[in-house]
Amino acid sequence: MNKKNRFIMGAALGLATIAVAIDHTQHRLPDPVESGYEGATIIEDGEEESQSPCSMDSGGSPCSM
Amino acid sequence: MTEAVIKKIRPDKLVVLLVLFSILAISLFLQSEFNVKQSLFFLVGIIFGITLMHAMFGFTGGWRMFIRSRHSLGVRAQIILIICSSLLFFPIVGGAFSEISGYAALGQIGTSVLVGAFLFGIGMQLGGGCGSGTLFTVGQGQTDMLITISFFIVGATLGSYHLPWWLSMPNIGKVSLITELGWLPALLLQLAVLVVLYRFVFSLDKKRNNNVPNLLPTQKSENFLEQLIHGPWPIWWGIVGLTVFGLVTLLMAGYPWSITFAFGLWGAKIWSALGGDVASWTYWAGGYPAKALNQSVLADITSIMNFGIIIGATLAAALAGKYAPEGTIKPKRVLTAVIGGLLLGYGARLAFGCNIGALLGGISSGSLHGWLWLVAAFTGGIVGVKIRVWMKFDKPYGSAS
Repeated sequence: MNKKNRFIMGAALGLATIAVAIDHTQHRLPDPVESGYEGATIIEDGEEESQSPCSMDSGGSPCSM
Repeated sequence: MTEAVIKKIRPDKLVVLLVLFSILAISLFLQSEFNVKQSLFFLVGIIFGITLMHAMFGFTGGWRMFIRSRHSLGVRAQIILIICSSLLFFPIVGGAFSEISGYAALGQIGTSVLVGAFLFGIGMQLGGGCGSGTLFTVGQGQTDMLITISFFIVGATLGSYHLPWWLSMPNIGKVSLITELGWLPALLLQLAVLVVLYRFVFSLDKKRNNNVPNLLPTQKSENFLEQLIHGPWPIWWGIVGLTVFGLVTLLMAGYPWSITFAFGLWGAKIWSALGGDVASWTYWAGGYPAKALNQSVLADITSIMNFGIIIGATLAAALAGKYAPEGTIKPKRVLTAVIGGLLLGYGARLAFGCNIGALLGGISSGSLHGWLWLVAAFTGGIVGVKIRVWMKFDKPYGSAS
């Protein structure tokens, strides 16, 4: 184990965490789920499919794997 | 593995505790901000990270070993992984089950994939990892891989800028074996090709090296639980883990596991934050990319899973006492990490994915572009291995490496 390398990794992960936090706070949160039944959000696949990076036909965008 | 070896493992307890706390906190945060499913994607990423790290399941090293000395263990493991995934994915993508559905990772067959995968193959050998390999070695704490992943991101962003031009180059469009032949004939054809490939690779190994190691264990694990937690895992555990959770990803997301879209997204977001007008680029102007660019990075499934892979690999490395290994980065290594990272990112964007999205996900879901990717990337790999020798990273062929 190398203390210098641990410090470098810690600094990199810390910076990445800050960047993600800034990005997340700059965007509007998703709309709250209307259903009171929490489990319903787990099985709603339709929305996820439309978010597929591979759905290039509909959006005219290349598959983004 | 013997008990004597297991007893030598000294987990990095502080890192283990920090990572476990982080996993719990991030999972709860994702659940509260989004939904349970988003949290589950993160946890699947964690399992991928643990599996890749404990089984040391890398594509880059396996290819290099085979190219240099015909040692085929890694390549054969990859072929078996594709066989297992194809057996599970083809019926689902082909609509054999009315209750469940999944989409193929289709990509255009043409100049873009040919050039992109070739560059990616060179980048793998210079950068020291592929899509999954870069993530799990960063998680392990290999500081040189921080350079590779940084320029992977730069390359993927540049690739997204140039992609429309590459897509206008000659191509024959997307070809799905499942659509063309039906899922069962397509599966049988693919399995036949993969078995022939396996036997070919095995015979080349046997011809050069008398003793060809078996993929399956020759002796039982003496302490299963210890080995499961602290590693190292036999390679077939890695195959099982990646197959099972690859299936879980397909069922949950609706498409196969992918990695490199997120790198382009991260780069585009950073460039945008620095004042760049990314939204005007064709790639980011419409469809899912535009949506991803305009929402939190935590809403993107690929990003969430990538974060999970890094953190999962950190956990596995800390449990194995291998976190942040010794080593200093020499200037020549910086150079290869920069060039390799750029080629990886740019190549992956042009080639509709990396070793996971195009090779594993593409071939296993019946996309013909995955096969083209394999040929082009392996050819690039041969060039990359030769460059490593030329740069004196590796000894010339024939000498002990």
